[in-house]
Amino acid sequence: MHEMSLAHSMMQQVLALAREHKASQVNSITVLLGPFSGVVAESFAFAFEILKKNETCLHNAVLHLECPDPRYRCLGCGAETSLPLPGQGARAHLDFDFFTEKQCPACASTRLSPLGGRELILQQIRME
Amino acid sequence: MCEACGCQQHEERTEKEKVVDVHEQLLAANSKQAAANRHHIEKMGAVAINLISSPGSGKTSLLEQTIERLKDRLSIGVIEGDPETERDAERIRKKGVPAVQLTTGGGCHLDAPMVHGGLHVLEHMGKGRKFDLIFIENVGNLVCPAAFDLGEHQRVVLLSVPEGSDKPAKYPATFRSADLVLLTKIDLLPYFDFSLDEATAATKLLQPTIPVLPLSAEKGEGMDAWIDYLLGLAPH
Repeated sequence: MHEMSLAHSMMQQVLALAREHKASQVNSITVLLGPFSGVVAESFAFAFEILKKNETCLHNAVLHLECPDPRYRCLGCGAETSLPLPGQGARAHLDFDFFTEKQCPACASTRLSPLGGRELILQQIRME
Repeated sequence: MCEACGCQQHEERTEKEKVVDVHEQLLAANSKQAAANRHHIEKMGAVAINLISSPGSGKTSLLEQTIERLKDRLSIGVIEGDPETERDAERIRKKGVPAVQLTTGGGCHLDAPMVHGGLHVLEHMGKGRKFDLIFIENVGNLVCPAAFDLGEHQRVVLLSVPEGSDKPAKYPATFRSADLVLLTKIDLLPYFDFSLDEATAATKLLQPTIPVLPLSAEKGEGMDAWIDYLLGLAPH
């Protein structure tokens, strides 16, 4: 449950920026969660909803989470490709198989090296 | 008042709203401290290794055996992380090496500010001695520690035979963040349904070029390769 500490850390950053811009209210916060960041989007949103209750200027803040598909470079042919992670349902259904089936669409190699994807970035804040 | 619909809120929002583009890391504070820790460790003349695994996969036993083999050649310091107790640090101190215990009071991972405090205590305990290697034994957890840079130079993830060879597939974020994976307790292979090939293949699916070393701290098998790896890291 490190989503709670992450949401807390984000909240501190947002509050500091709100002070800096002399805003009394934050309307929305946009955060990028990389596909390999190990952060569960639902838990992160849940933690934020709890934490924001303690801060008057965040009461109306809406959290937007951007969760892009992971990107890989194929060590076989060098092609760069983006492969979606299966959804929750699909993952439960396929279980271990989905993991072994990830292949380069160009040459079918399974030697795919992840390109980034560990980002956790505070992108934008709308405030007034 | 808003001319379109008569509401008060609407007008305020469109007129006064300010869009601030930040593009800053969410863990910016942790990353900054981690960079400072790395600098601190380098100034101490050392290289730091962050050990991550589930509870009970043999991190402390591996450290005990590693110290046994390296103590005449390298100066070692250890920072131990656990939710509670001083036990791991006491085990390490029995080997004649300074060890700081960080207790998180229930927290599931170490972060860079905690390690910063630990480094100062370690320096104090070392009474001016120079360190070559600093091991940071993270809280036993295969999920949360992956997200926190502590200022280490190398991240080593352990997977023990009793845990099962499917763990890299099930906990990809941690294994993807590793610089080296150790498959530990291989002396127990005859008693468990664990496949070294499957564990290695599952790890290499995440990071095709990562080194994977099987070893048994208890029986010594595979320890030479681990010791060579550490000697290669230590500053000369």
